[in-house]
Amino acid sequence: MPPSHRRWRPAATALLAVAALAALAACSPAPFFRGPNSIFTRYTETNRDVNGLFDSLFFFGTVVFVLVEALLLYAIVKFRRKPGQAEPKHVHGNTTLEVLWTAIPAVILIFIAVPTVRTIFRTQAKARPGALQVEVIGHQWWWEFRYPEYNITTANELYLPVGRTVNFALKTADVLHSFWIPALSGKRDLIANHTNFLWFTPDSVGAASWNGHCAEYCGASHANMKFRVYTVTPEQFASWTKGQQQVAAFGAVANAGTTSGPQTVGAPAAAAATAKQAGAGVRESGPRAGEQGLGDEAAARNNPVPTQPASGAGAAGNPNAAPTPATQAQQAQFANVPAGYTYPAASLPKHVRPSTPIPADLKRRVNMQLVGDPARGQQAFLSCIGCHYINGNPIAIGKIGPNLTHIGSRNTLAAGLYPNDTEHLRAWLKNSRAMKPGVTMPTLGLGETDPVTKQKVTVGGLTDQQIADLAAYLQALK
Amino acid sequence: MATIAAPTYAPAAAPPRVADEPTGLWSWLTTVDHKRIGTLYLFTSLFFFVWGGLEAAVIRAQLAGPNMTIVSAETYNQLFTMHGTTMVFLAIMPLSAAFFNLLIPLQIGARDVAFPRLNAFSYWIYLLGGIFITAPVLFHVAPDGGWFGYAPLTTKASSPGINIDFWVIGLQILGISTLAASFNFITTIVNMRAPGMNMMRMPMFTWNAFITQFLVMLAFPVITIALQFLIFDRFFGTNFYTTAAGADPLLWQHLFWIFGHPEVYILILPAFGMVSEVIPTFSRKPIFGYPVMVYATVLIGFLGFGVWAHHMFAVGMGPVADSVFALTTMLIAIPTGVKIFNWISTMWGGAIRFTTAAKFAIALVGMFTVGGISGVMHSSPPADLQQTDTYFIVAHFHYVLFGGSMFGLFAGIYYYFPKFIGRLMNERLGNWSFWTMFVGMNLTFFPMHFSGLLGMPRRIYTYDADQGYTLYNQLSSIGTAILIVGVAISLYNLVRSWKKGEVAGNDPWGAGTLEWTIPSPPPDYNFAELPRVTSRYPLWDVKAPALTREVPHSERGDRELEVQGPGALNGDHDVLGTADINPTGGPGPRGGAPVMANAMQRASERPGGRLPTARELGIPMPNPSIWPLVCATGVVVMFCGLMFLEKSTKLGVSVMVLGGLWTAASLLHWLTTPLEDAH
Repeated sequence: MPPSHRRWRPAATALLAVAALAALAACSPAPFFRGPNSIFTRYTETNRDVNGLFDSLFFFGTVVFVLVEALLLYAIVKFRRKPGQAEPKHVHGNTTLEVLWTAIPAVILIFIAVPTVRTIFRTQAKARPGALQVEVIGHQWWWEFRYPEYNITTANELYLPVGRTVNFALKTADVLHSFWIPALSGKRDLIANHTNFLWFTPDSVGAASWNGHCAEYCGASHANMKFRVYTVTPEQFASWTKGQQQVAAFGAVANAGTTSGPQTVGAPAAAAATAKQAGAGVRESGPRAGEQGLGDEAAARNNPVPTQPASGAGAAGNPNAAPTPATQAQQAQFANVPAGYTYPAASLPKHVRPSTPIPADLKRRVNMQLVGDPARGQQAFLSCIGCHYINGNPIAIGKIGPNLTHIGSRNTLAAGLYPNDTEHLRAWLKNSRAMKPGVTMPTLGLGETDPVTKQKVTVGGLTDQQIADLAAYLQALK
Repeated sequence: MATIAAPTYAPAAAPPRVADEPTGLWSWLTTVDHKRIGTLYLFTSLFFFVWGGLEAAVIRAQLAGPNMTIVSAETYNQLFTMHGTTMVFLAIMPLSAAFFNLLIPLQIGARDVAFPRLNAFSYWIYLLGGIFITAPVLFHVAPDGGWFGYAPLTTKASSPGINIDFWVIGLQILGISTLAASFNFITTIVNMRAPGMNMMRMPMFTWNAFITQFLVMLAFPVITIALQFLIFDRFFGTNFYTTAAGADPLLWQHLFWIFGHPEVYILILPAFGMVSEVIPTFSRKPIFGYPVMVYATVLIGFLGFGVWAHHMFAVGMGPVADSVFALTTMLIAIPTGVKIFNWISTMWGGAIRFTTAAKFAIALVGMFTVGGISGVMHSSPPADLQQTDTYFIVAHFHYVLFGGSMFGLFAGIYYYFPKFIGRLMNERLGNWSFWTMFVGMNLTFFPMHFSGLLGMPRRIYTYDADQGYTLYNQLSSIGTAILIVGVAISLYNLVRSWKKGEVAGNDPWGAGTLEWTIPSPPPDYNFAELPRVTSRYPLWDVKAPALTREVPHSERGDRELEVQGPGALNGDHDVLGTADINPTGGPGPRGGAPVMANAMQRASERPGGRLPTARELGIPMPNPSIWPLVCATGVVVMFCGLMFLEKSTKLGVSVMVLGGLWTAASLLHWLTTPLEDAH
């Protein structure tokens, strides 16, 4: 090889390597992390900030990684021992080099540290005035959500109006938990005797549903402490709050039978179409942040309960309710029932619909032949009043368990663990402890064995008919 | 020109042994020999490593698909708690302790550690504490509060069972072992270095071990206090962590992580030290930038105490605290990076021999870099809020602890096995084991970066379908199976080579430090005559003086110690002087041939290749003693008393008093028995 080539080759190689490295590192990490709960989303200002930080962390990380591993590989290939090789020269150090590789990482770190500190102060500032206040209270293992502004208490499903900053006040009723919606924001712990705050603005997203999860180990069912988040249009939000403020809707739906309740499958096309329409509407109005937050009431007046038909229509066609096919008339009757907007179950994507199976032996014991009567169910609810609150049922004033005022309007059961349909509800009422490890709620089904105490439920246990009635009652609580 | 060819030895049937070496169970129960205690540590920690690995295997089986029901939630929670606790306290730390025991006295040219019986006591406490904390797994009452044991989940109100009792008492017992060992090693390193072995000539492993002991000494009292508070809360009704009585749960978190972060360096620094021994030997070059490596270790140890709250970015400490801890955390990347570059530079221009030990060591450099980079990624609090408590963190610290600590310690096992057993481990099996472990480790832990950033929280016993991380979990589970095969090959290799390995000789690798100057396995007295040290690689000075002439030496120290300085170094110079320091101040006698050559000759001259006994050489060695074991048992009995307290105060107190008296009596006997025979 001519000497000139020999001289230029390393330089050319180095140049090529640097170019390849720069190209590789300049890639945003987002495309490599596509998934329904990916943190690489740009729907809120906090996640955009975090994404920005990740971009630079990945950039420098890739540069350092490629550089170090390339040097390492080069060294182990180039300096492998050859037969008959003379002993290598003993080099003890090189001050210039050592200063260099102390200084260069330090400089790189400055490029990470400055935006980091800036973002810390920006994201931990006080939430802007006019933000929607939501109190989050963690319980083993479910979430209590309170909207003090609207005097609403609900559980495990959050509704957030698009474009309005939401400020969460985070508390816990027992051990530590951590509130995390990966697609919208980083997490923040719930700590006894502290109130933590976390805020973000879902400003560039349409009507959509998200997964939330407890991210701090909190005991037996930590894995089952999930929640759902629905970002909805301000109009939908206003309608939802109106509905939630009302007392339990039971009474208007005394004959609802077992076919009510949010459905998970087989939604009519109409529902999907309506939902889509609603979603599109949000996306258009999304970027106009701020002003919507203040205009909730007005918006609600102009566009009252825009998607009511969706949730009503979505209630039809539940295969689990097959034994008592609902007539069109019945459907029409309770299509009008929900007092406010609820996120249509039919438009929930797969990852937001729980698919945890009911334990097989319990599933076999759940009686799906019976028809439930909500009125009788209300009587059977006497078993539950010690722990559960139902606004509108004067004797249900318990505070230990989730508020059930509008449980019929929720899409999930047991902190996002199961879909809220007839079968799961009946199974839950029969033997909740077999369905979710560690729950406080006792096993209620007559003849069931409590998996914790190993004792059979005898006197006072609920019969299958009572369970069916109770489920019907709960489903009627829209 | 000088060449250090790979040393060749006349084939021997068996490694040399001391003539009257005791064998049998009793000799192991009473041993105070640092090498035997090290061997006990090695095998016990490997046992717990396998145990913790099997726990991980069940965990990965459960997570191999969505909604799996191989184990219940309760069992899973016990498994991940015990996997972490076992790997940290029962596998990696004691495996490091095995090497501290085996190597520190040899590397500094001492005949034992400063307190040989305390050393045995440390081991027995570790063994008994390990059994205490692990046995409940078999009875389904294992601790289930996570290895970090966050209060208030671990308080009586939230965890009324005895599970957490085993954890809190078990860790308290294990802490005694670790602390006792740290005092012992610090004293040993400070006081028992051979003449001429000044601090800046200590081998890198000993340096890392030295810093590690300071971390232990400063960090373990903090966890002791935290655990003591929890013990008081659980057994005596105090309210340190009772939130209902107004306690602040962050008290536990701060105390735990002030211990917990230095603990990370306690786990990794010994492996760093090991790599700093292995890479120079197999590159046939001294460590690049020795002083900087030392300063970097000291700095890592120092900064390690100032970063604990980066485990707590999600608790809401406020922007100022978050910023400060972010910056200190970033700073720690600098000395760590320096180490990486210095290792690469050590290899640069060398003649690298790819033995299994070298492969594990080099793999550490590559894998730890991955863990280091992801570490910097969560030093940034806003970004960390999307990472903490997800599988991204699990990926990060397994790159640090498996790709780092375990790979380093595996390098140590392959590198030092011939020294302590006298036989080489099989290189072909080693090669298979290394590559299987390397592939398995990356396949297990790399996909966790993805599952984490795709939103998978940690410590969940199950996950739902369609969440976007099923595939990555499946890859991890497959990787675990491969990893298990890799580890199994090495363990088989270890057992097989014990009796069948090729006889190693003193210095099978052509290394440069003191431990390779003496026979393998070393006699109980290690050095027939204490060496005198003039450089960092004394054995290389003997074998290739021409190459080592440029070693920087501190001449002042040499003058004080009457050790020949480097200026006079030449081919037949007496590097490993044959006499102790001459107390009168005159120059010590210098023979022609180095001691290590003498020792080798002595071994081969004697019938059957036997080495002379300490008695024959007139070296006073500590006598075996059963009292450390008896005393350790008393301590554990005393702690066990707490477990009976709830059933019956009378029984509990009786057991504690019994254990206390037992401990005191055996301690008295221990202290009144002389360490050595009169001489």
